[in-house]
Amino acid sequence: MGEFTDVTPSLSKRELGDLARRGGRSAGYRFAYLDESAKRDVRRALLKAICIPGHQVPFASREMPVARGWGSGGLQVTLATLVAQDVVKVYDQGDDESMNAIAIRDLIRRTAGVATTTDARAATLIQTRHRIPEDALHEDQVLVFQVPIADPLRIVDARPSVTRRLHAERDYAPIWLYLYEDLARRDRSSFSHSHPVLVDGSYVMSPSPIPRHDVPRLHHAPFLALFGAGREAIVYAVPPYTRVEPVTFEDRPFETERGEAACALCGATATFLVEDDATSEHRWICSDVDHCVRTRGGR
Amino acid sequence: MSAVLELREVTLRYPDGTLGCRDVSFDLFAGEVIGIVGESGSGKSTVVGCASLDLIPSSGRVVVAGEDVTGIRGARRRRLRCESIGTVYQTPQQGLDFSLTAGGNVASTMLGAGWRSFGRVRERALAYHVAMELPAERFDVPVELFSGGMRQRVQLAKALASAPPLLLLDEPTASLDVSVQARILDLVRRLQLERRFAMLVVSHDLAVMRMLADRLLVMYRGEVVERGLTDQILGDPQHPYTQLLVSAQLIA
Repeated sequence: MGEFTDVTPSLSKRELGDLARRGGRSAGYRFAYLDESAKRDVRRALLKAICIPGHQVPFASREMPVARGWGSGGLQVTLATLVAQDVVKVYDQGDDESMNAIAIRDLIRRTAGVATTTDARAATLIQTRHRIPEDALHEDQVLVFQVPIADPLRIVDARPSVTRRLHAERDYAPIWLYLYEDLARRDRSSFSHSHPVLVDGSYVMSPSPIPRHDVPRLHHAPFLALFGAGREAIVYAVPPYTRVEPVTFEDRPFETERGEAACALCGATATFLVEDDATSEHRWICSDVDHCVRTRGGR
Repeated sequence: MSAVLELREVTLRYPDGTLGCRDVSFDLFAGEVIGIVGESGSGKSTVVGCASLDLIPSSGRVVVAGEDVTGIRGARRRRLRCESIGTVYQTPQQGLDFSLTAGGNVASTMLGAGWRSFGRVRERALAYHVAMELPAERFDVPVELFSGGMRQRVQLAKALASAPPLLLLDEPTASLDVSVQARILDLVRRLQLERRFAMLVVSHDLAVMRMLADRLLVMYRGEVVERGLTDQILGDPQHPYTQLLVSAQLIA
């Protein structure tokens, strides 16, 4: 490792800006925490993942300052793709102020010196746990999803040796059978989140535990979607404007959660609502806190 | 007339060196029923395993509906199994997933063959469920809650659900009591007469063979030692083993 020397002949404007921004970060850490070989490994896996949409690519998941299963995969993807000009939003089930979101955002800011925001429209990179922000996102944005279980076939067979072969042969009969059983026994799908999707007509992929409300928003999305599972050491990706279709029977169209009410705070009806657990009265409020506050004119 | 199933000099040696079967050849034509008899370990199930595409012969060819399927692997092999070949195994554990509903087990055949309409899959599965004389109200009940005879009926429904031209029965009634055996065999014979699929039946019960099979193959130590019309073989066995088998049956 000590053999490496920086042989960059000249610095571009972008790189100079990069260096300038690095001044404000915590001492004793490399830019964006990970060492260069770790970043290169993650990037290499991500490039492969982007080239083969929906395909699970293994990578050497590092020990991170967050526990595995607490966003370590998303964090590694974020840190490996970050440049100093990025404006980062960290989003935890709709909330920017959860303890985990704060801790991860703080780590990113202190080791990379990048600007952060809670406004999804202003962010260039959004690390998210189980939601897609309600705002219309655009081509210049990257979404990094934290993924607990990477393989959508885990529920039908726990053996990776088996599911890898099923993926390789695009044999998704077992997942269809799983859907059949759900409908036959309960007359509805049991996927309240993580509904499996067919990416670019080829691989079946877990969209991470996003609610059904968010699943159709991955279809032909303008942003680049990167998925990182740190505990399972897997990354996968959906490039912009890719077909992402929920796996569902042709006579059983995919349905999103039906909002029974409008948001008790901002009055929105088209957003994903959750039960308010902060009050004793039963009411529905927006899951996306920042969007809700802005709608109310708070910011 | 072209054969639904052809085996050509099929030899299978298991990884531990045990001989499964040697140089087995026969043609099974549309609407025909061939029976395989022989003692335990004579290679009957190995032959059925090769025909059902569960096993891959060490040498020789397996031809289904004119297509050599010996070398086909992976998803195409599984799909072929769903579309063209129905198999009823000796024990329901081999052929069914007990955690799934009866309907789900039957539906798996159609889903494996590429059906993607829930309504059509369900309608078809239910039709076969009822045709196998299973109670309709048990359609969405997990198979683990079924009796042995009912499980074999679910296996039959699953095997026939994609209307394959070929049905393989590997001792389908060996684990059942005599009265249930008779009713299931009755059902099989009626279905075969109605739908005229080709059938390969394995059994060591000669009474079963007399009832079902047009032709018989007698296997002994992995090889076919005698073949011919069922009545002819049971009436005038030539090979010493066949003679022993027939006489033992008559005494009993």
